Amino acid sequence: MKQTFLGALGIAIFLAAWEVIGRTRLLGISWPPLSDVLEMLGDPGRLPLFERALGATLQSTALGYLWGTAAGLVLAAVAHLAPPLRRGSDRLAAVLNSVPSIALGPIFLVVLTRESTPAAVSSIHVFFIVFVSVSSGLQRATPAHRDLFSVLGADRLRRFWRLELPAAVPSLVSGLRLAWPAALIGAIIGEWFGAPRGIGILIINAMQNFQIVLLWCAVLLAVGTSLFFYGLLTLLERAAYSKFG
Amino acid sequence: MRAVRKTMKGAIAIEKVSKRFPLAGNKEGVLALSELSLSIAPGEFVAILGPSGCGKSTLLRLVASLEQPTAGRVTVNGAAPNLVSGQHALGVAFQDHALLPWLTVHDNIALPFRIAGRRVDESAIARLIELVGLGAFGNARPRQLSGGMRQRASIARALVLEPEVLLLDEPFGALDAVTRRQMNVELQRIWSARQITTLLITHSVDEALFLADRVVVMSGRPGRILREVAVPFARPRDPSVMRSEKFHYLVDDLTQALEA
Repeated sequence: MKQTFLGALGIAIFLAAWEVIGRTRLLGISWPPLSDVLEMLGDPGRLPLFERALGATLQSTALGYLWGTAAGLVLAAVAHLAPPLRRGSDRLAAVLNSVPSIALGPIFLVVLTRESTPAAVSSIHVFFIVFVSVSSGLQRATPAHRDLFSVLGADRLRRFWRLELPAAVPSLVSGLRLAWPAALIGAIIGEWFGAPRGIGILIINAMQNFQIVLLWCAVLLAVGTSLFFYGLLTLLERAAYSKFG
Repeated sequence: MRAVRKTMKGAIAIEKVSKRFPLAGNKEGVLALSELSLSIAPGEFVAILGPSGCGKSTLLRLVASLEQPTAGRVTVNGAAPNLVSGQHALGVAFQDHALLPWLTVHDNIALPFRIAGRRVDESAIARLIELVGLGAFGNARPRQLSGGMRQRASIARALVLEPEVLLLDEPFGALDAVTRRQMNVELQRIWSARQITTLLITHSVDEALFLADRVVVMSGRPGRILREVAVPFARPRDPSVMRSEKFHYLVDDLTQALEA
């Protein structure tokens, strides 16, 4: 209760400071007051613009999220079931992760289309996080459970389906939670390589035309969306831990 | 002689078994068991009694094919233990109940069928849930149960495939004294109904004497057999046996052997 109150107080102070700094031009004209940003976000005339941008970005993010999760899950499971492939797949994941997505963008642009590049960059971000969390999750079954399955004569596949995979669910869901903001960032970066619309495009356009308030609107939309889904996934994570943990 | 069993399966033979565990910084390693021999007849209940670290759990793990002997031979029904576990003919309960937290009591007890790839025998599960006194808790999850109830579920799971050999590694070791006594009484009742070849590892003299046909006392490192005692009480055993003079005498006798 006290924690919630302190948290709310902290947010209120932050928002008030934002407004005051903007009103007094303490940090110059590139820091608009919060009320101006909210006013523009609520402007009915601009609503279609924001809707189109957010819709496009969310679509790419969702696609990247799904593909990245599927790829991470499948590769982690295959590497787990076929130990000779484990080292190779670990390396592949590490290499993919160490290449900055800015550097991958042009490659996707050549191989794929402008429209699908955001989802592709997004899926790379998600893939690594899910791969790592599932790989470690598949090791999480307790020694007592492993012994039980051995004594009961479980074969490799049944051990995987009935023990190792369920034991990996909390790890997987934690990974999914962390992967969501990464997916959104991936989609926004991907849009910078010439996507027709999206939050990333809105950010670039506002920046180049010095529309400071519009720029902050785009950022606020991205942050708000990210936090909303992050919150939902946190709830899912709690449920997963209480059932599978 | 006890009643004749339907099938005379489940003999365990341990022949001159030694087990050495590697140890960092020590070439010799640790000798947990030294040339130990023990044979258990079909349908016999043998309790292994010994101080902590005497290798009694290692002995059970060898029979369960969770460890391989360094020297000597372990067989169940004349076959290697891993073949027997591969035929899903072993039942096991550990001190850690090892119930899967994401499954209900019913599904935990059904797990051995699924692992064996057999059709889940609902009536067998229902009978066992009743037998271990969990009738109202089939849909509960392990975390909702008390320690004693979890061990009952784990014993029901060990019995559900009608195994040829039952391996119990201090299944009640983590319970309080009163619950433990109750569980011993229940296990005695359950076991008397089936008489499966059983190897029980325990450090409780009372538990060993109340449950087993034969009690084997082991020495500390390296594990050797110090004494074997045939338990004279007829089955089924009433808890009042534990108050008899003969029982107290045997408890004292075995406690002394343990301390030697």
